[in-house]
Amino acid sequence: MPLVINDEYPEKLFRDDGKRLDGRDKTELRPIKMEVGVIENADGSAYLEWGNNKIYAAVYGPREVHPHHLAKPDSGILRVFYRMTTYSVFERKRPAPGRREKEISMVITDCLKPLLFLELYPGTSFEVFIEVMDADGGTRCAATTVAALALADAGIPMKSLVTAVAVGKIDNELVVDLSGIEDKAGQADLPCAITWFNEELSLLQFDGDMNLEEMEEFLSLAKSALSDIYEIQLAALKKKYIDIQEEVSGGNS
Amino acid sequence: MSFKDEEQRLKDDNQEEEAVNTEEDSDPDEFEDEETTRNLVVPGEILTTDTKTYLPGRGTILSQDRSKIISLNIGLKQTKKNYINVIPLRGFYTPRPGDKVLALVIDKNPVKYRCDINAKDDAILKPKNTMKRGRISRGMRGGPPDRDNSNAEMYDIGDILIAKIVSADRLNAPELTTVGKYLGKKNNGIVISIDPPKIPRVIGRDGSMIKNLKNLTKSTIFVTQNGRIWLKGEDIAHERLLIDAIRKIEREAHTVGLTDRMVDYIENEKKKRGLK
Repeated sequence: MPLVINDEYPEKLFRDDGKRLDGRDKTELRPIKMEVGVIENADGSAYLEWGNNKIYAAVYGPREVHPHHLAKPDSGILRVFYRMTTYSVFERKRPAPGRREKEISMVITDCLKPLLFLELYPGTSFEVFIEVMDADGGTRCAATTVAALALADAGIPMKSLVTAVAVGKIDNELVVDLSGIEDKAGQADLPCAITWFNEELSLLQFDGDMNLEEMEEFLSLAKSALSDIYEIQLAALKKKYIDIQEEVSGGNS
Repeated sequence: MSFKDEEQRLKDDNQEEEAVNTEEDSDPDEFEDEETTRNLVVPGEILTTDTKTYLPGRGTILSQDRSKIISLNIGLKQTKKNYINVIPLRGFYTPRPGDKVLALVIDKNPVKYRCDINAKDDAILKPKNTMKRGRISRGMRGGPPDRDNSNAEMYDIGDILIAKIVSADRLNAPELTTVGKYLGKKNNGIVISIDPPKIPRVIGRDGSMIKNLKNLTKSTIFVTQNGRIWLKGEDIAHERLLIDAIRKIEREAHTVGLTDRMVDYIENEKKKRGLK
């Protein structure tokens, strides 16, 4: 029997008990799991599960630029390849990179660039490959978060990590971390990313309608959510080494 | 069988002997302080806000408003005099003049060899840097130069060389030389690669780790700065043990008391594997 996917959106995005459709509070994040060093042959890699999103990121570099004409004589270049697998969404995604993927690759590149010291590596490229295995809303934020982890795991000098989250408006309520259905059926959607060394916004996109007061509120909501995700990022990055430390000290005593 | 072949063979034998005694020159203080080795930091972490007494050292940066020192790498925090350093745990090899590297010849033409040295650029080895100056062999009685043994034929594609970096900077491809002590082609042995930042740990304080490895497994090891290790043991079993040991060092590079633990590990493994 073929799987029939209902294309209609529900009328209400809140349940009767005031929670969201997946049982979350308004400012509650989906469960997040992160891991680094998952791809053996990459210089650095990370894996992220954020709700139903499943994303791998791999970093290579510094290495020679191909095609060579892209190389800059005075600085390195950062290239991000955001791709979705054909099975990551309900309707089969055509495998060729589309307009949306190119745009997201571009915004993630611009988001990560201020972290790196590209001017120290002229004529080289750092390449970040992000592969979305399963998508359920907010993949650009999740991809930015996991790309920063992979860069840190590769040992590339960087000023700090970057963390991203989407906030939005559904049924006239402000909520944090939109899921796929809320993203599509909601009124507004605002993905934003923060670089922690100067606490500045490195990515801000907006779709929908809201007024300026709501915008302020949005950003303060996002800030607290971002610090929560940042903690998870730090823990994931350190876990790889702390595990070995504990194993070794446990073996001795 | 010419005189030259004989000379070459003798030279190779000498090299083996010499390589045994090699204590690689490196930054000796890496991974040193026992209490600092536990301090794991990540990029962006604030190391100190006391910028009056401390200065940013290696792997760190002063924040824009000069109020704090932050880490650039995932690594171990180390305070030395009034400098705060971060010793990276992951990273890539950046060639520096004077480094000894294990190079793989990947291309050859009459004017240069191209070598893979595990850096972003391939290194260049010019034929003039493969021969001592003024040592063109002139036959028996000072005849004309021996044209048959052209310099370009000295190495082949796929050869493993121990080379020294003559010049390296951000822009140009590094240049190598194979003239010097311990330098030249390796005809036997095994080459393994590890993370370049963990090389100092394989050497240990004043070469203590590498001395232990050599004595306990009765093998010859040559550690180079670009993350490659050349090794040759008595037999394949000893070589396998040595490789396992080096992999263990790489994995546990950030833990304390590694040298003692490695000695125990090798002794145990030797008993388990039935080696002398």
